[in-house]
Amino acid sequence: MLAYILSDMEYQIPLFHALHAQVCKYLADKGFEIIETSIGRDDLTYCRGCFGCWIKKPGECVIDDMMTQVNRNFINCDVAIYLTPVVFGQFSANIKNALDRWLPNVMPFFITRPDGSTIHPGRYKSYPRQIMAAYADGLTDGDMKLFEDIIKRHRMNVDVVRFDGNQDSFKEALDQIRFGKVGAKL
Amino acid sequence: MSKKSVVFVNGSPKIGEDSVSGYLTTMGIELFEDDDLDIYDIHIRRSMSRLKTEEDFPFMRKADAIVFIFPLYIFCLPGIVIRFLQDYYAYWLQGKDKTNTNQRIYAVINCGFPESGINEEAAAVIQSFSEKTGSIYRFVLLIGGGGMLLGAKEAPFMKNTLNSIKDAFRLMHDDIAAGASAPIPDRYVEMNFPRKLYLFMGNRGWYSMARKNGLSKKDLLAKPYLHK
Repeated sequence: MLAYILSDMEYQIPLFHALHAQVCKYLADKGFEIIETSIGRDDLTYCRGCFGCWIKKPGECVIDDMMTQVNRNFINCDVAIYLTPVVFGQFSANIKNALDRWLPNVMPFFITRPDGSTIHPGRYKSYPRQIMAAYADGLTDGDMKLFEDIIKRHRMNVDVVRFDGNQDSFKEALDQIRFGKVGAKL
Repeated sequence: MSKKSVVFVNGSPKIGEDSVSGYLTTMGIELFEDDDLDIYDIHIRRSMSRLKTEEDFPFMRKADAIVFIFPLYIFCLPGIVIRFLQDYYAYWLQGKDKTNTNQRIYAVINCGFPESGINEEAAAVIQSFSEKTGSIYRFVLLIGGGGMLLGAKEAPFMKNTLNSIKDAFRLMHDDIAAGASAPIPDRYVEMNFPRKLYLFMGNRGWYSMARKNGLSKKDLLAKPYLHK
């Protein structure tokens, strides 16, 4: 079983180091092999909304940089854990860049979900379980709630866990998650 | 009485092509231009690529109002927009005076999905940004089906939709000019077009664009990152 950890090189505050250490230990205890990518400010070009990943090179971003390997690692792992700072209630810029450029992994088409909302269908038959481990100095309950809403209102098979330094509660939250591949539903 | 200043911030990540956010920014500026307001506009991608943010941030800092205009990416702000806001916040924190409590924040957010409500969390991110920078969140215009705005803007059935968007810009203008304080609810605009037909035409459009690039329907289903 393979776990992929993505983190933000810009926000490596003490809270991050505690989170990172606990996630690595948790995964190792579960027998996961771990690969990691830490994304710095200048590592990724911004998504430019060209849709080339849908209509020019389907499934691949047309920008040739570190994101090619990030997407390849993502698709081939069993669980992807984002150690993500929360900024104004959403992902930090570096993590959000990686998520924007995750777009090749879905199809361009529109489908309607049971709740009536629209979404793009998956490109692959299965995806890794995704876990958003959220942290920030002074993270307010309001921003954390917003962060959860961004994910839970629109995505399936993505879990959100807050890390505030309390290792016991964080472990309890991880214990509730089934680690491993999920289906094609996003 | 001195003129009030308004900064339009266009957050389209596109390079060298028309964008919905660019179209909306131009529309907003045209509707705002009068003797009462000074307008300054910032294109985030251009500002960042030309290393011009240090020149642009003071205008934002001093502005009486800021209007952010951007597309929704993966259910929240595009990476380039949150980068710009992060950098602006770092600049703002360095300032000695953090008491520009009269600055007003507005936004126009458009998404490709037909439901305008999908933009609500992005609006809440703008609200959080407003609170942290000591500004006043006024209201946001949430647009669904934004993908139609450029291609179909001349079509008769778009008239009411475009009028609703223009009304929202006029409401922003008047709110800034009057310095009003009564809360204004966020405004929602969707295309006056059947949802099923919107999805059908959108899906056909992808095939059509792919064909122009020499790709077949099957090519669109490629799974390039999967290890064999």
